[in-house]
Amino acid sequence: MSQDLIRIRAVSKEFGATGWFKKPVGVKAVDGVTLAVKRGQTLGIVGESGSGKSTLLRMALRLIKPSSGTVEIDGQDIWTLQGAELKAFRRKVQPIFQNPASSFNPRQSIGQILVAPLEVHGIGDRDSRRAKVAALLERVGLPKDAIDRHPHQLSGGQKQRIAIARAVILQPEAVLADEPTSALDVSVQAQVLDLFDDIRRDLGLTAIFVSHNLAVIRQVSDQIAVMRHGSVVEYGEADQVFGDPQHEYTKTLIAAVPDHRKLMRAL
Amino acid sequence: MSEGFDFYRWRPVIFGAVIVGAILICAIFAPLIAPYSPYDLDYMVMLQGPSATHWLGTDEIGRDILSRIIYGARISMQVAFIAAGIGLIFGTVIGVTAAYFGGITDMILMRFMELLFSFPAILLAVVLMASLGTSVLNAMIAIGIVFIPGFSRLARAATEVVLREQYVESARAIGMSHARILFREITPNIVAPLLVEAAIAFSYAILLESALSFLGLGAQPPEPTWGNMLNTGRGFMAQSAIMSIAPGMAIFLTVIGFNLIGDGLRDALDPHMKD
Repeated sequence: MSQDLIRIRAVSKEFGATGWFKKPVGVKAVDGVTLAVKRGQTLGIVGESGSGKSTLLRMALRLIKPSSGTVEIDGQDIWTLQGAELKAFRRKVQPIFQNPASSFNPRQSIGQILVAPLEVHGIGDRDSRRAKVAALLERVGLPKDAIDRHPHQLSGGQKQRIAIARAVILQPEAVLADEPTSALDVSVQAQVLDLFDDIRRDLGLTAIFVSHNLAVIRQVSDQIAVMRHGSVVEYGEADQVFGDPQHEYTKTLIAAVPDHRKLMRAL
Repeated sequence: MSEGFDFYRWRPVIFGAVIVGAILICAIFAPLIAPYSPYDLDYMVMLQGPSATHWLGTDEIGRDILSRIIYGARISMQVAFIAAGIGLIFGTVIGVTAAYFGGITDMILMRFMELLFSFPAILLAVVLMASLGTSVLNAMIAIGIVFIPGFSRLARAATEVVLREQYVESARAIGMSHARILFREITPNIVAPLLVEAAIAFSYAILLESALSFLGLGAQPPEPTWGNMLNTGRGFMAQSAIMSIAPGMAIFLTVIGFNLIGDGLRDALDPHMKD
């Protein structure tokens, strides 16, 4: 068995008008990306908005079908999965999305939201599910009574904690996170990021973490891929990418990270 | 959650329900409530205004208008409920299916809806009645079918909005079945606009039924419905305005009742308006 859990091979995605009366003009959101994530490690994908990083993540989650190329989990092409195998994949790989405001069904309580994955995969009975949800809420640092609240009654940071809880309740192998902290205040960002990192280490999760924020990526990633205009321009170990960036774009990105020492001097 | 019952939140709904409830009681217990038979003629008292014996006066052949209004509630309410129900259920199923599955399913369903839409409502109802045969039940079905395209487009648009929400993506990524996503994630989040539309459809159904009976396709005289009373009343506007005003007020009150319920439910069910 290879040590790569997730392998993305020459994946492209072309969005375009596909109507009868429309000219078939395509936009390449992702263009021939090849990446791999080792078991237990975190790949950070960084890039500006429109660089195709979210599209890539959605293809790895089997939410968008690639125009070409394959995504493999454990050596299996995820788009050939069906029935029980597909269900197993849905249990193995979990998402965390960017926008805390739209990540949850506004008509369900936090308890209902967190119990849903267990119900869908037929894990446990009523009581054991409830106990599991309660334990997980405590683990992500939310009060017990949050279980009966509705999403709009929670803060953005609390919602992202719930999102993390939902992503790990099935004890998955991989968590794919799409800018989970970018909608939050900086102070809250750090707490949520710490929680994510903590839980990831505890459970030995493999992760892909997409962000436009280089500082965030640096904190959580083992490997880093820099994306621009749908392609990966730089890909390597985190220290190497930060210490010795090869591509011009990466250098610009790193130079653009506000350096607090310089800021202090300027003040 | 220790949220007590919030009277102010539900006030419009309660108000509307009282009005609609009163009309429903009239419809169900018409024989007990109506002071006269709706069919009995009395040529001695034609076209009278309101009086102590006939509270809302009498019509052109001396029938008691109040009694006819009370009996008329039966057919009008049946038409409203059944027609709006048909439109709501079939329209929602078609619209949600079209938006959720997209592609060719969407194309076929929505082109068919546009086909229905392209006929004027009355004409469509008349054609449907002609093929279904003339009866009150068929009038209800025909009116219901007229409503389907409107509901389906509304449901489709609302579903498209919900589909873009990340909780639907999450649901798919978790491995939820289509059925569960449709019933648990999507439907609860599109009911608000559909309820408002249903309230409007209720009122429109009453008016459409009156147009159909005017054309001789709905309930037939001497059967009283608010619609055909209104139509008959038109001819006697100069002699006795109450003949038109009474059924008009009945329709107006019902419409207000349903609209209060529809608008009120939309606000009361909005989760963001809690607390």
